[in-house]
Amino acid sequence: MSAVETQEVEKRYGPVRALRDVSFSVPEGTVTLVAGPNGAGKSTLLRILACLTRPTSGLIRILGRDPFRKDGPALRSELGWLGPEPGLYADLTVEENLAFVARLHGSDSGRVESVLEELGLAAMRHRRARTLSQGYRRRTGLARALLHQPRILLLDEPWNGLDEEASERLTKVLQRHRARGGTVLVAAHAVPAARELADQVLRLEQGVLRMLPGGPREETHG
Amino acid sequence: MTGPRIALAVLWKDIRLDLRTRDRLGHMAVFSALVVVLLSIALPTPTAETRPWLPVLLWVVLLFASLLGLTRSLQTETEEGALAVLTLAPCDRGWVFLGKGAANLIALLGIEVWTAGLFSVFLGLAWGPALPEAIWAGLLGGVGLAALGTMLTTMATSARFREFLLPVLLFPLALPVLVIASRATAEALDGRSVPGLWWGALALYDWVFVVIPYLTFDYLLED
Repeated sequence: MSAVETQEVEKRYGPVRALRDVSFSVPEGTVTLVAGPNGAGKSTLLRILACLTRPTSGLIRILGRDPFRKDGPALRSELGWLGPEPGLYADLTVEENLAFVARLHGSDSGRVESVLEELGLAAMRHRRARTLSQGYRRRTGLARALLHQPRILLLDEPWNGLDEEASERLTKVLQRHRARGGTVLVAAHAVPAARELADQVLRLEQGVLRMLPGGPREETHG
Repeated sequence: MTGPRIALAVLWKDIRLDLRTRDRLGHMAVFSALVVVLLSIALPTPTAETRPWLPVLLWVVLLFASLLGLTRSLQTETEEGALAVLTLAPCDRGWVFLGKGAANLIALLGIEVWTAGLFSVFLGLAWGPALPEAIWAGLLGGVGLAALGTMLTTMATSARFREFLLPVLLFPLALPVLVIASRATAEALDGRSVPGLWWGALALYDWVFVVIPYLTFDYLLED
């Protein structure tokens, strides 16, 4: 089964067509890189898949179901999202932010401990998000996205603001997620680690999918 | 029980933030205090004729204070992109509205008590026997303002001129609360019984502005 499938998805912001007839599918247990220049529509595509915004037209299937119909609430627990902002409450501590997300998703409180360890955040657990460096905020945002063990991770430029050690840690986290059968869609440009990791690449240019998924680790023209 | 659990998580998170930073409550309390002190200096000593205006002034102060609180609540959700976390909550998003609305209501009720006390101290408003009906007016009016404010704040989140848009939408839509709640308060202070129709109108208003956002919050949270 495809983890994600889109058919002729279009998104308009007034007269601007951010996405045009975007159709693709992503198999489960793979990493897909969404590449393209600035303004190509990468973030819009990921926001639609994360149920943060609706497409103007077209069909979306997440794990075979429509996320914008009655299956939406159940499907949202299968999605982990990290956008350009970390998705944190600035005046809650790292641990409180994660505990809040655990309560939202009904996750075991032990998960907070394990993601703190996994992302090297244990020493920062009592720091308010406001006082963290950009890199630690990104890490905490990633921990938040991973906390409820989603089957599909949607990450928008996750390597931004990370140092070398954190970048390697992120790459390992994504590899482990794939190894456990999870799916990753990651928007990034000019990140060698993303290219290394990707099983397939979707290239967007001015809202149009120029390249379609091909074989492992290669870009093919549609 | 996913929905109620999520509503309680959102409510508790907002209460924790309010108690920790005291930004929202502090801003609202200082604003109310400043306006009441200014009124006490600027207004002539209230007479039997002018006393009925005091409840109207009280509710106008509450309306402006609630605007401050709602704006701060909006900043908390948008500052680090946290609104996406609520949007991804695995429940009918109406429950998220109920959690946010309840948190806004608690903050507003706190400010109502504070402002009523200030009116008593600085403007000589004697609550005495009017207290039970004034509490009803405060509760029903507070629910309406909190529900309407939570809905409009969420609608304004992705708007370009949201600081401008919020009052432009809030003030006209809150007019029924302002009129009915202030008249009910005035009647109670005058020692007259508040007509049941007024309570019914306030309750209907509350019902409308709780049900509409509850049903449409799915769309309001998405941008």
